[in-house]
Amino acid sequence: MKYEIILTVNGVAYPVEVDAHASLLHTVRDQVGLTGSKEGCDDSECGACMMLIDGRPVNSCSYLACQADGAEIITVEGLAPGDDLTPLQSAFLAEGGVQCGFCTPGMLISATALLAANPEPTPDEIRVGLSGNLCRCTGYDGIVRAVSKVARG
Amino acid sequence: MTIAEKPFIRPDGKEKVTGVGRYTADMNLTGQLYAKFRYSDHPHARIVRIDTSRAKAVPGVLAVLTHEDVPDVLYGGMVQDRRLFAKEKVRWEGDVIAGIAARTAAIAEEAAALIEVEYEVLDPLPDFAANMDAGASLVHEDWETYGADDSLDRSGNTLGHSSIVKGDADSAMAGADVVVKSRFVADASQGAPIEPRAILAQWHGDRVTVWSSTQVPFAARSGVAHTLDMPESHVRVVVPLLGGGFGSKCDFHFEAHVAALAKAAKRPVKLVFSRHEEFVAPDHRREGMVIELETGANRDGTLVSRRGTLRLDKGAYCGEGGFFAQMAAMHACGPYKIQNISVDSYLNYSTNQPSSSIRAPTAPQTCWAVEQHMDQVAEAIGMDPAELRRRTLIAEGDEGPAGQIFDPIGIKETLEAALDMIGYGKELPDDEAIGVACGWWPSFGVPSGAYVKLNGDGTGTIITGAMESGTGAVMGLPLLAAEVLGMSPEDFSITYQDTDAGPWDMGSSGSQTTFNNGRAVIEAAKEVREKLLDMAADELEAHRDDLELVGGAVQVKGSPGTSVTIADLAGSGEPILGKGSGDVPEAPEVEASACVGRLGMESFLAPQLITHAARVKLDRSTGVVRVLEFAAAHDSGVIINRIGADGQVYGGVMMGIGQALSEMTMFDQDGRQRNPGLLDYKLQTVSDAPKIDIRWIEVDTPNAGPKGSKGVGEPPSVPTSGAIGNAIAKLVGRHVDRLPMTPERVWETMHTEGE
Ligand code: FES
Ligand code: FES
Repeated sequence: MKYEIILTVNGVAYPVEVDAHASLLHTVRDQVGLTGSKEGCDDSECGACMMLIDGRPVNSCSYLACQADGAEIITVEGLAPGDDLTPLQSAFLAEGGVQCGFCTPGMLISATALLAANPEPTPDEIRVGLSGNLCRCTGYDGIVRAVSKVARG
Repeated sequence: MTIAEKPFIRPDGKEKVTGVGRYTADMNLTGQLYAKFRYSDHPHARIVRIDTSRAKAVPGVLAVLTHEDVPDVLYGGMVQDRRLFAKEKVRWEGDVIAGIAARTAAIAEEAAALIEVEYEVLDPLPDFAANMDAGASLVHEDWETYGADDSLDRSGNTLGHSSIVKGDADSAMAGADVVVKSRFVADASQGAPIEPRAILAQWHGDRVTVWSSTQVPFAARSGVAHTLDMPESHVRVVVPLLGGGFGSKCDFHFEAHVAALAKAAKRPVKLVFSRHEEFVAPDHRREGMVIELETGANRDGTLVSRRGTLRLDKGAYCGEGGFFAQMAAMHACGPYKIQNISVDSYLNYSTNQPSSSIRAPTAPQTCWAVEQHMDQVAEAIGMDPAELRRRTLIAEGDEGPAGQIFDPIGIKETLEAALDMIGYGKELPDDEAIGVACGWWPSFGVPSGAYVKLNGDGTGTIITGAMESGTGAVMGLPLLAAEVLGMSPEDFSITYQDTDAGPWDMGSSGSQTTFNNGRAVIEAAKEVREKLLDMAADELEAHRDDLELVGGAVQVKGSPGTSVTIADLAGSGEPILGKGSGDVPEAPEVEASACVGRLGMESFLAPQLITHAARVKLDRSTGVVRVLEFAAAHDSGVIINRIGADGQVYGGVMMGIGQALSEMTMFDQDGRQRNPGLLDYKLQTVSDAPKIDIRWIEVDTPNAGPKGSKGVGEPPSVPTSGAIGNAIAKLVGRHVDRLPMTPERVWETMHTEGE
């Protein structure tokens, strides 16, 4: 049985039909057509699929699309409103926080949520805040530096 | 400010941080089907019968393929021991028996389960060390009939034996002041990129395009051509953005399976691995090893003799890892002056997942063993371990394990730098200690090519066969072209990762991109430069020797008023193209006639040298070790892109810490993986990351890559676990002899009596 729901992604409402068990990640990637959010594990282990749901970071692979009906969903594609990068996106690039970039969408979502909740986190708070996101390339150093830089303003 | 110090934003950065960049799994084609594999049901069995009729009958299934449906071709790097689809036997749990293409992934999965396979189950042969014993059952009964590289010393389950022999190790051992013996066992581990692999194939008549998350598009292309029996010109491999590899996406893997399915189904076919498959199915993981070492030393630190026996787990097939025995043997010697050496290294088949290159293959495990062994030697002669290294590390003019005479080399400087950064000798709480380890890794000189062309507005395009796995190596190529042409790096676009566009390249493996492709890009840019000078000489009516390229223009030296912009020259309509490959540097010739299984690694071209120092904290009640502070000093020659090079060290050290403390693929008694998931495999998280200090020792190395650079990407994982192991041993009182050094193993080592 299919459910008709409305996913509001990055400010745009998308009516979609989904199975009860369809994940938000697959629905956004396959039906909405935004592939910025990545699937690294489909099991809440890597954080590459993170999206903001009403401002809260969630692993969208383990979140039902139906649960997100009517919520405000932000994906990595929705972070920068115009053509300019957000300070966090720029800092990730300047500080070497991006290598292969596969973890980056989830990291940016996580970091955005962290800074919204705590605009001046200590390095330790940054580490705790990002500990649900795995990165195999950067050793995390450039990522933590990027978030600290933005937090310091 | 040197070129390395200028802030440089990677050209692929914006698409990566905005989420619009496309990785292979993000691509879809009209009419595309989804592929699934039916894997073996047993690690070791003879195939009696395969029946695909029920799978083929499932509505929505458009193709089911087994070995009967593709050319009967054996493939593999140094030994051709494998087929796309298993025929007579399965040799590990990931052997592919059949491929299915269906309208949805769920239908393909359902059909895969309906394939009936009748087996004659054989005893699994997971014990790679015992598999070389006389009388052991064979993983490959037909090993003698396989095509193989002549230099390999093969017999039975031993795919390759290599030795390093120097002087007379036995009699020297007998005359040493002390003799230290150790045995270490390293478990398997994984590359574990965050992007699971994906492949998409589409035919156009009798030609196929394959989009693949591979690190080696040209190897993938020849793999497809070879196994499907078609010319390379009919196969185009394109790599969209690659989500990391660390070696695990080297070699030809599943491109031909997917291409064959697409051909049979007459539709594009897409394969996307689950995380479970990414662990279990690739013929790629870091090899387990059993390492036995014996060193004779004199009280003044002189290393008079080293004997070693290494056994490595090749798993079921050769893949591209046929060189491992010799590489491990070189690491069993390490960057030390040792007077007499006899090391034998055996790469053995087993019915485990095949091993192949993962970031500096064989080196981290061997180095972990050797560096702990060196600390044991230091203890036996009553010398500080750093002092022992100071006295025995190689320097310019010293002789390597197989007789190589070293050019200027910065290993001793890396030692001093690491000791300085970590504050070696400083007072520490009694649950903390500092460990030090040294290591090395060769640069690989291989052919590589690039084109540079100028656009009408004076910008440029680099067309390269090189592969960007995330490290930034390809992204840094504009720095090199820009310098030759007096342009700025931002002026260049890069066409890359398309086998129909760029010249052949070895791919993102062996830390070789800057080393070899950098050379090619510089050569290509120089050809463009010559052309520009000719054109400008005409235009300015000046002698070309009086001209220089500065700030996007060609000008008379010292006279910026007399100039013509590159845009004006390029805009004239005359094509301005350059191509380059450059001369491939070669490793020094060595005699080494006593060595067996010589594969070219008995001497190291432009070696990269490393010292790591780790300050760790041990919780004595649990055995949990935390790395608090880390110092990494590297001689990688001249650094071209500092932010990129630092990034390799941060990432490589974290990978090394994972290998040291938590990462292992556990096999059950039959050789099946017990922890094929990220949670149980235990990658390091951001909370585990210590403060990492980096220092580059920029030795001017003859025979190096562009501008005196060497490789950068692999060394950062090499001595990491050795440094951590030596720190742990200071706290525990003895060395942990199993890798990774998990809390259980550390705790057990603390509570075991006697040595
Ligand atoms: S894909 Fe959702 S956490 Fe990994
Ligand atoms: S940049 Fe590659 S996984 Fe983080």
